[in-house]
Amino acid sequence: MMEFVLFLGLLFALGGLAVASNPSPYYGVVGLVVAAIAGGGWLVSLGFSFVSLMLVMVYLGGMLVVFVYSVSLAADPYPETWTDWGVVGYGFGMGLVVMVGLVVSGVFGLLTDVGTVNGAGLLSVRVDFSGAAVLYSEGAGFLLIGGWGLLLTLFVVLE
Amino acid sequence: MSHLHLSFYSAFILSSLGLAFHRTHLISALLCLESMMLSMYVALAMWPIQMQSPSSTIIPIIMLTFSACEAGTGLALLVASTRTHGSDYLHNFNLLRC
Repeated sequence: MMEFVLFLGLLFALGGLAVASNPSPYYGVVGLVVAAIAGGGWLVSLGFSFVSLMLVMVYLGGMLVVFVYSVSLAADPYPETWTDWGVVGYGFGMGLVVMVGLVVSGVFGLLTDVGTVNGAGLLSVRVDFSGAAVLYSEGAGFLLIGGWGLLLTLFVVLE
Repeated sequence: MSHLHLSFYSAFILSSLGLAFHRTHLISALLCLESMMLSMYVALAMWPIQMQSPSSTIIPIIMLTFSACEAGTGLALLVASTRTHGSDYLHNFNLLRC
């Protein structure tokens, strides 16, 4: 089980690498989908299921769908692929830079483990649900400001 | 630092490198910005888990809201520039040429 969580963490970082070294926006969106699903699965493995569900529905189902439509508007008809040498060079170079930075700063000697949301069995009040409920009760100001910001963005986009 | 922190830290660094080195399309820069927002969302969601404080759960939710606003604005700019220039190639955006 621990190996699965490590694998999800690795998939998240590889999805970020795929977005950064994309040959074409079509393949960049694939990397973003992989990273979002890996991040969502990782949050579920820590017990934080509401936040993960929100990530999948709002981010993948809302924002990325709009991105895919815009990519179909703005991308070229004969894209490069993953096996072109320029793309492989970019991906390898960026991965190498990050790995060298991590090794030089000595991070790999300092790694520890992490706990979960509720380590004592089933609870009737979970951290994520009660936290999201704060948004509607004491955090009502946040809700109103967020709604106002979204309304303004609507007018910005329409203009 | 735990290995999970390492994972989203390196994803954030890679996405910001991709944003700095975007080559032909404007939309690939916007995709790197979205990936930075995703890694920041996962990072902020780690906070209520590790500090066991439920009230901090609203912070990634609010961040996702404003990231959606920003993505929509960026896409509107992309569509507007595609209408005037015909494509979103970055070497076409040379109005500020000296």
